[in-house]
Amino acid sequence: MDNAAAKKNIAQQLINLIATTCTLISGLSLVTLTLTFGWLVYGRYILNSTPTWVEQLALLLIITITFLSSAVGIKERTHLAVDILPQMCSPKVQLLFRIGCDLVLAGFGLLLALMAIELIEFSWYKRIPLLDIPEGIKYLPVTLSGSLLVIFSLNNIRNSVARLRSPDCNKRLSNKSGED
Amino acid sequence: MGLFILLGLFALLITFGLPVAYALGIAALSSFFYEGLPVLIGVQRIVSGVSIFSLLAIPFFIFAGELMLHGGIAAKLVRLASSAVGWARGGLGQVNVFSSMLFGGISGSAVADVSALGSLLIPVMKEKGYGDDYAVNVTVTSSVAGIMIPPSHNMILYAVAAGGGISVSNLFLAGIIPGVLMCIALGFAARWVAIRKNYPTEPFAGWMAVGVAAISAVPGLFTAVIIVGGSLSGVFTVTESGAIGCIYAIVITMFVYRSLSWQGFCTSVQRAVRTTGMVMILVGCASAFGYMLALYDVPKMLTDMLYVISDNPIIILLMMNMMLLILGMIMDMGALILICTPIFLPVAVGLGMDPIQFGIMLMMNLGLGLCTPPVGGCLFVGCAIGDVPIQRAVKSIWPFYLAIFSALMLITFVPAVSMILPNLIGL
Repeated sequence: MDNAAAKKNIAQQLINLIATTCTLISGLSLVTLTLTFGWLVYGRYILNSTPTWVEQLALLLIITITFLSSAVGIKERTHLAVDILPQMCSPKVQLLFRIGCDLVLAGFGLLLALMAIELIEFSWYKRIPLLDIPEGIKYLPVTLSGSLLVIFSLNNIRNSVARLRSPDCNKRLSNKSGED
Repeated sequence: MGLFILLGLFALLITFGLPVAYALGIAALSSFFYEGLPVLIGVQRIVSGVSIFSLLAIPFFIFAGELMLHGGIAAKLVRLASSAVGWARGGLGQVNVFSSMLFGGISGSAVADVSALGSLLIPVMKEKGYGDDYAVNVTVTSSVAGIMIPPSHNMILYAVAAGGGISVSNLFLAGIIPGVLMCIALGFAARWVAIRKNYPTEPFAGWMAVGVAAISAVPGLFTAVIIVGGSLSGVFTVTESGAIGCIYAIVITMFVYRSLSWQGFCTSVQRAVRTTGMVMILVGCASAFGYMLALYDVPKMLTDMLYVISDNPIIILLMMNMMLLILGMIMDMGALILICTPIFLPVAVGLGMDPIQFGIMLMMNLGLGLCTPPVGGCLFVGCAIGDVPIQRAVKSIWPFYLAIFSALMLITFVPAVSMILPNLIGL
């Protein structure tokens, strides 16, 4: 394996690791979310003391799940899309459509990350009631999601360009992850 | 010009294949920018659109569905349906419809319904001499029951998109009769096709077998009872009942059925967060998009436009159905619920329709869209499982479309079909 190919392989592995970590964090958040609601019901009916912090924590967890998983969805191409026009074109043109879409997504990710940083700064000194932590924390997953959108989209572009240069660029593209 | 940017950019981006959620977000933020509104507010709207307490039920319903899917409950429901209705003409077609009704009540997702029941029933139907297109068509169209029969996360999306003034419990109740009616209509369609094509019947296994299958399926079916009953009785909120449903599903599939492995559990969690991410980012971006639609007064524009064409409520309702059906053919359900509700609901309410009845009508319209090309999630999954080209499946699907369409007309023009249960026992 030459040096460039080895570097490419390491970069891909790193991106896979980031995606797996995000899925793991989202998964743990979902399990925590489920258990805290179980605790809420248990507290209300068995302990006669409703844990009031559950609602605020749940909202933090759902933001985490949403923004991290949706960013991973870009890497794995699992988002709902209406790709009627690209499907009617040749595989090469389809790849160009994909590159265009990934560029737009990278731009959107950058904007999301920058705006979310501003929101963090703006709301850092406010406190989330009952949890007593800075409100800015709820925008952290958004910043992370925006940055991940940039990374995953650029990685998708790199893969599409590599495919465009390869001899099998005329093979039909699959919408499944890892198949392009 | 601002509205043109909002709608035009959105249409352009989705045509080029950009994910619908991000196309909504980008179009909305561009409009914010064009109107001189701070883009920061747009991003904040996306985040606040996600962090709504009532939306928390969505990940729970999705998670419960995945747990049931990987916990082998679908196989038990098919066994129950097979012993109960398999003896009828075109027996496996009836089994398919009945299983969808039962499983839809648990998973709450039409696509989950197709993938779970399709992979179980389509190969068996083909093996027993049923046409592969018939097997796919029955599976795909009956999966709409997953949206109609509670619990259904799409109904929560609708309740939120409608402004939060609608009781999710009442929506759940309202979906039951239309869902069952639709399944009866599909049962008739399946039987009619089976008679024409001389498909076989299954031998009746006896009441004992029905009883055994029912006892085996009851613990799984109880998940739906917890979710729907818990919220209706007021013991839990809808969100809490979703969480309790998940915990119950884990206990039942891991310790009673012993059919959910650790690997299956991890897969369920992974798939649930993936779907949750997809749905919730759609909700967030649609929230910013909806804000701009309201700013441009689009609902009023549509109302005025419809009244220019006709002031006859029947014509207007038919036109609305037609528009929703066409939109359902080209776009996904979740996005359409979030976009269409604020636009069409005021028109429907203006005609004297209850928002709950409109919600059920919207669900069935968009559910039918899931079974139609070019963007029909259920049709694609069903055809992939059955290894049938979409063109061939669509050629012979019309009796099933007709069945759903007749149920849709009943829902549209007979308010009692949806409203009788909420009026009798609703909150």
